[in-house]
Amino acid sequence: MADRRQRSLKERLSYLKPYLDSVLEPAKIIWQDPLGRAGAIIFTLIVLIAVFAPLLATHNPHEMNERIEGSIIPFYGAGEWEDYEIIGEDPINDLATGQNITAAITEANEVIVRGPGGEWEKENLNITREIKAITISGEEILLAGSGGELLSRREGEWTGEDLPGDDTIYGISSSPAGEVLAVGEEGAIFLRSDREWRRIESGSERTLNAVNFSGAGDAVIVGDRGTIFHYREGELIDPEYAGFQDATFRDLLAVDYHASGMAFAVGQRGTIMGFDGESWSNMESDTSRELRGIAIFSEDSAFTVGYRGVMQQYDGEGWGSLDRITRRGYRGITAGAGDNPGIIYGVDPYVNELAAPSTEHFFGTTHLGRDIWSQVVYGSRTALMVGIIAALMVNILGFTVGLISGYYGGRVDSLLMRLVDIMYGMPLEPFAIVLVLIFDPGLWIIILAIGLLTWRTNARVIRSQVLSLAKRPFVKAARVAGGSNIRIMLVHIAPNVLPLAFLQLAVAMGYAITAEATLSFLGLGPPRVYSWGTILHAARLSGAWRTAWWWVIPPGIFISATVVSVFLISRAVEVLTNPRLRGGNQSAPEPEESEDTLPHGQ
Amino acid sequence: MNRKYYIIRRLLQMLLSYLIILTGLFFLFRLALPDPTAALVVEGLSEEAREMVRARFGLDQPLWRQYINYLVNFVRGELGLSFHYRAPVFPILIDRLYNTLALMIPAIFVSYLLGPMLGVFLSWKRGSRAEFTGIVGGLVMRSAPLFWTGMIFVMVFGIWLGIFPTSGMRTLPYEAAHFFDKIFTLDFLWHLILPMLTVAIYYLGLPMLIMRNTMLEVMGEDFIELCQAKGLSERKIMYRHVARNALLPVVTQAAITIGLAVGGQVVVEVVFSWPGLGREIVQAVRTSDFPMAQGAFMMMSGLVLIMNFLADMLYSYLDPRVGKEGGGE
Repeated sequence: MADRRQRSLKERLSYLKPYLDSVLEPAKIIWQDPLGRAGAIIFTLIVLIAVFAPLLATHNPHEMNERIEGSIIPFYGAGEWEDYEIIGEDPINDLATGQNITAAITEANEVIVRGPGGEWEKENLNITREIKAITISGEEILLAGSGGELLSRREGEWTGEDLPGDDTIYGISSSPAGEVLAVGEEGAIFLRSDREWRRIESGSERTLNAVNFSGAGDAVIVGDRGTIFHYREGELIDPEYAGFQDATFRDLLAVDYHASGMAFAVGQRGTIMGFDGESWSNMESDTSRELRGIAIFSEDSAFTVGYRGVMQQYDGEGWGSLDRITRRGYRGITAGAGDNPGIIYGVDPYVNELAAPSTEHFFGTTHLGRDIWSQVVYGSRTALMVGIIAALMVNILGFTVGLISGYYGGRVDSLLMRLVDIMYGMPLEPFAIVLVLIFDPGLWIIILAIGLLTWRTNARVIRSQVLSLAKRPFVKAARVAGGSNIRIMLVHIAPNVLPLAFLQLAVAMGYAITAEATLSFLGLGPPRVYSWGTILHAARLSGAWRTAWWWVIPPGIFISATVVSVFLISRAVEVLTNPRLRGGNQSAPEPEESEDTLPHGQ
Repeated sequence: MNRKYYIIRRLLQMLLSYLIILTGLFFLFRLALPDPTAALVVEGLSEEAREMVRARFGLDQPLWRQYINYLVNFVRGELGLSFHYRAPVFPILIDRLYNTLALMIPAIFVSYLLGPMLGVFLSWKRGSRAEFTGIVGGLVMRSAPLFWTGMIFVMVFGIWLGIFPTSGMRTLPYEAAHFFDKIFTLDFLWHLILPMLTVAIYYLGLPMLIMRNTMLEVMGEDFIELCQAKGLSERKIMYRHVARNALLPVVTQAAITIGLAVGGQVVVEVVFSWPGLGREIVQAVRTSDFPMAQGAFMMMSGLVLIMNFLADMLYSYLDPRVGKEGGGE
């Protein structure tokens, strides 16, 4: 009994051999043809990319990639500036200019100094507390920060100074006469004159953000909720307002007090306060964004900068918008003097949007700062998955219909062929669009649309092959020998049609990949899954596709390469199964030049 | 007599196919959307008002009755009111259909004029580098997705070089009393070139490769040898004897291509903002405009069926055997 079962299993397995052969045979054929080999290599590469996508992707395709950097823009006036210059890896929080030196503090608690040589150099400081503000008094650099930390550099040596208090300092400024004012949390104000620090009682609990001297013994201090103090010769004086409406309750973040006696203070939500030498008034600005820096260049020219690169200009009369240089958030601006430009500094971490290809982002980034290379790599998975599943579905349907139709003929045949005609009456893209309208966008809808509709071609091709096979003597012999219809179809006819089906599988796959890309491009794909089509859909939707070539070209190249490789493979099979296509028939007119570039130029 | 019989049979087949597609569409929409008035609920319709709307649209009748109404309305050209435009769907779609044809016909014409000519050239130069380039070029043209080629064209010719307009059929604003006023202008041709080339290049590869393949097959036939023996020139053999006989499969392919082109047209219209049927159906999905989507699909599949029918007629005219054998594939 066991022996018999074994033999029958063996016998059954032997039926599989023709199937196996008809799969292996084309593979050998493909490899013999140069173009087919090229196709096979390209296709293998794409499959490898899809398989190893998580390793190859350099970024998370959904992640908005930010850039963090410290940069300055030398600024001469409206419309006149030098190139955006990156001077460090961390955003610059505050910057001060002196006679020959410029010094800046970064978010990473570092101090970088540019001497007369023009090179930025990092200073080595061993402090754990955060530095918040910097000023230059003659040759001396002063830093202040949290916990009342205060450092001074004279002749290259850093020394700590003792403040009579441990409040965090947010603003510091020095006068030409050598006075230094440091202001900070809970209304703390410290004054240094003759190398001695003393506290000035402000009577305020509010945080003070900035201070600026116009000349010896004359400074303005600003802080949260519209706080303004005048400092004159060791005394604090409350401000005068031009009208009752003119006081503000918004936080003031920066102040500049010009030698001519005018001053501007700026802050949250586009607040600008102006001082004409006697009283403060609230001024109209063209923005509601946070302003963080103000610099008065002359009596009729001042500039303020802030969040998202917003810039406002004062023309002697009032404030108006200035075209943004970049869209990155600035943290302040210093005034220029003589030939020296003012400096806009910052910047806030920004989304690295629409960046051109670089070593960090091979194919650049999208308008949301997403890495296109990683998207394309993950997209290959979707393309191949849809391509393979849809092609299998198409092939199984087409093969079955073609086999039954061709074998039985007659009514069955004409019925099935009318069905194929009906399928030909429906264009694929609109069919898928209607399906999406009725159901929901997704990969399965796309696969379903391709699978339900495009088996029509396969069915026709397989049918015509089966039609001629069914009339062959061996089929008749099988019938005489008593083989059932099913047996004849599966054992005798199917293996002979399989090479053709294999060819059709490749063609169907190429078609399915294009169709998937097309439908995804129309926005019918799933929203959170990347495919080559959805990448191009996003590019189109953002409007950036007209200039961001790095966003448009790579997905298209990948689609074309995959489809071409599939075509080349199928063509190799076709050429070798149909020798007349090889192009070298003796009875035909001779070609003018003959080179062996084409498959087998006999 | 046989031919007439064939044409009539083919025509009836086409109508039957269309009827089945329409039926499928009806049930698809009814099953997925059993109550179209649900879309009106958001506008604050009370229960009684909804009943009234249902009665007015005949939704309270049994399904078979609705189906008959649907077919009768279709024949009368009443495809319903567009949710989005708040106007009858049919006149809008007719206008879009003309626009679609104005792009599609020139494109298919160009590709099926140039394609076979290039195919003859390739078969003539078989085995040469020119043929190799041609074959690979043809495959690449067929592989690059239509919408992508369109985007690249817009980027290169529209934006960088700035020599062609990138969207629409005419420069706005324009005045045209009727359709022919609109398209018989230089401005229209100007707008037509980029989208037309996009479509033409995509569909060029296939007739070219098919023509080459059949040319090579025909060259092996005995009568070609006879022509050579007669001492005819190579050019004469290629164009007069071989090409003529090789055209048939290209015509078959043209029939299928024209059908597929109606679908492929959708993306080109979207990329170039061409106000045709394709763009309309995509917009209908975005605005959930069911009557519009249904009407556009009816029109497109009708177009495909008519195109296929015409191509079959042409085929039977070119190859008289088809009609006599009773219309095989």
